[in-house]
Amino acid sequence: MKQKKNRPSRQYQKQQNRAGYMFFMPWLIGFLVFTLFPFIYTVYLSFHKVNLNVLGWSTIFNGIDNYVTAFLRNPDFTPALIQFFLTELIYVPTILIISFILAVLMNGKFKFRTVFRIIYFLPVIVISGSVMNQLMSSGNVQIGNVRRIFIYQIIESYSPELADVITFLFNNFALVLWFTGIPIVLFLSGLQKINTQLYEAAQIDGATSWQILWKITMPIIRPIVLVAAVFTVVSLGMFPINPVYGMIQMAIFDTVGGLGVASSYAWIYSMTILLLIAMLYFVLKDHSKDEYVINIRQQQAERQLKQVKRDQRRNKLHGLLAKKAGEKHED
Amino acid sequence: MKINKLNLKWKDSPLRSKLLGYHLTDGWIYRSAVYILLIAIAYVFLYPLLRMISMTFMSTADLINPEIDWVPQNWSLTNLRVAWTVMDMPSTIFNSLWYSGTLALAQTFVSAMTGFAFARYQFKFKNFWFLMVLLSFVIPVPLVLIPRWMMFITVQNMTGLKLIGTIFPQLLMSMVGQGVYSAILILIFFNFFKMIPVSLDEAARIDGATSWQVFYHIILKMSVPTIATVFLFSFVWNYNESYITSTFVRTAMKLMPLQLSLFDSIFERMSANVPGAPGGQFRINESFKMAATLITMAPMMIMYLFVQRQFVEGIEKTGITGE
Repeated sequence: MKQKKNRPSRQYQKQQNRAGYMFFMPWLIGFLVFTLFPFIYTVYLSFHKVNLNVLGWSTIFNGIDNYVTAFLRNPDFTPALIQFFLTELIYVPTILIISFILAVLMNGKFKFRTVFRIIYFLPVIVISGSVMNQLMSSGNVQIGNVRRIFIYQIIESYSPELADVITFLFNNFALVLWFTGIPIVLFLSGLQKINTQLYEAAQIDGATSWQILWKITMPIIRPIVLVAAVFTVVSLGMFPINPVYGMIQMAIFDTVGGLGVASSYAWIYSMTILLLIAMLYFVLKDHSKDEYVINIRQQQAERQLKQVKRDQRRNKLHGLLAKKAGEKHED
Repeated sequence: MKINKLNLKWKDSPLRSKLLGYHLTDGWIYRSAVYILLIAIAYVFLYPLLRMISMTFMSTADLINPEIDWVPQNWSLTNLRVAWTVMDMPSTIFNSLWYSGTLALAQTFVSAMTGFAFARYQFKFKNFWFLMVLLSFVIPVPLVLIPRWMMFITVQNMTGLKLIGTIFPQLLMSMVGQGVYSAILILIFFNFFKMIPVSLDEAARIDGATSWQVFYHIILKMSVPTIATVFLFSFVWNYNESYITSTFVRTAMKLMPLQLSLFDSIFERMSANVPGAPGGQFRINESFKMAATLITMAPMMIMYLFVQRQFVEGIEKTGITGE
């Protein structure tokens, strides 16, 4: 019963191509020259020793030497990378959860809603690397001392590493919150797109607010969670919370290691970020269309159907028996 | 029985309906809880900024005094004045404004064109390129920065034109849609242009308009608020950007965030030149730093006060997310 697609005429398609590429050309050129080519060239550079001399850039192949430098010779790089990975792992869920809660709270109509929205969006306007550095270095982002909290001391006695991460999270808590600006707006616009009739129908059927949140809001908002998560990962990478970022820049202007080492840093770092995003994608994507999920659902449905049939048969049997017993009794 | 009656009464009493509401979300208790939570979080949001403002106006004596927490005892404008001179103020601010303004203009225009191409035309490999737009957002900046830098150095050496230390490298990249967060700006335009009915284009086309005329007279003129939103975002992001800028401009031009990140060293250099500065008075402290930070933020904050509606509602309406 497939409908036959209306094929556009060839001339129409040609015209579409021409006009489309005309508007699209600047971006395309920019992408090829300033993004795709550098992307590939960095890989090439990371296996070479790069020097600038009178004739221009000279590259000498030196195998994996730059990577050896990155991982083994430079004592700062590997710890910084691990720290960056851990911070992202902790910050991203924290930011997402807080911004989702804030979005849900702000979704209704109440007094001073605009005021709160202005406050929560303010960080997006003022946040920048150097501002964050200055605020952090003068200790203005630390609210209270987490070390005084009892639970923290318990955690510390079991695992000092985890405790370190928690300290970092709490010491910079205000700045962590500053990254929620855009995710809040994303979630809010997603929440406002949900048809209110869905909520009403659920309420009439007797669903509690909690159930509505998990059964209606969450599934609809899921694609936005993915977008917000990717945005958070990318924007977190761009700030001095991230120690690797500054290291790469130092390496660019470093005359000893040169650009080869810098590119191997950049390459390793980017792979880490892309890995994170891939992980997020597989965690947060819509699994309901995956084959194995469908299979499981079908099996469940079949099992339920069988159970229902079995119950029906049993009930029938019981009914018959009862009837017979009744008849006997009457006799 | 008695308990039951009491229950009934309580259930129907006006007090209960006011406190708890017929539905959880319209009772007083819920509402006040929400307000308390929102205010608490807002406090955490603003905490660094409030501390910054309070420290800016503290004199050195106040800063060391452990009894003074928030409100300074001796208000002083010295910090602001010193930071103002150290950052070479009026000229830095103008530099920064025209620099980010130019970049933002270029970025807005190219994003509008690209968004228009995606929203209106069915050209070949469209979906592939759209994926590339999204991917270009994900690719970390340091990865592509090194070859970009090498390219500009090469061009500079070959032609003898001065490129590094001027606006041109970044302007060129913005003009071809590879500036700060370009993909997001494209997405905003794309989502908005899709909402404009196609019949308008068709009507103009029947009257003989070319693609450019449709783009300029119909699409752009209808989306002035969106253009404003995109321009503002681009402006703010370019203003606050310091990573790419510090690579291409370095210290050749005085720009706001760069001056702030160099503030400590500039301060030390300048204070060393003051002959016979009384000991300690011109030593760097948090007050000076915070004053400098406040000055850096101030232009954007003032702008935000006036156009906050464009920022928040603009992005909410057009949406980055659209399906």
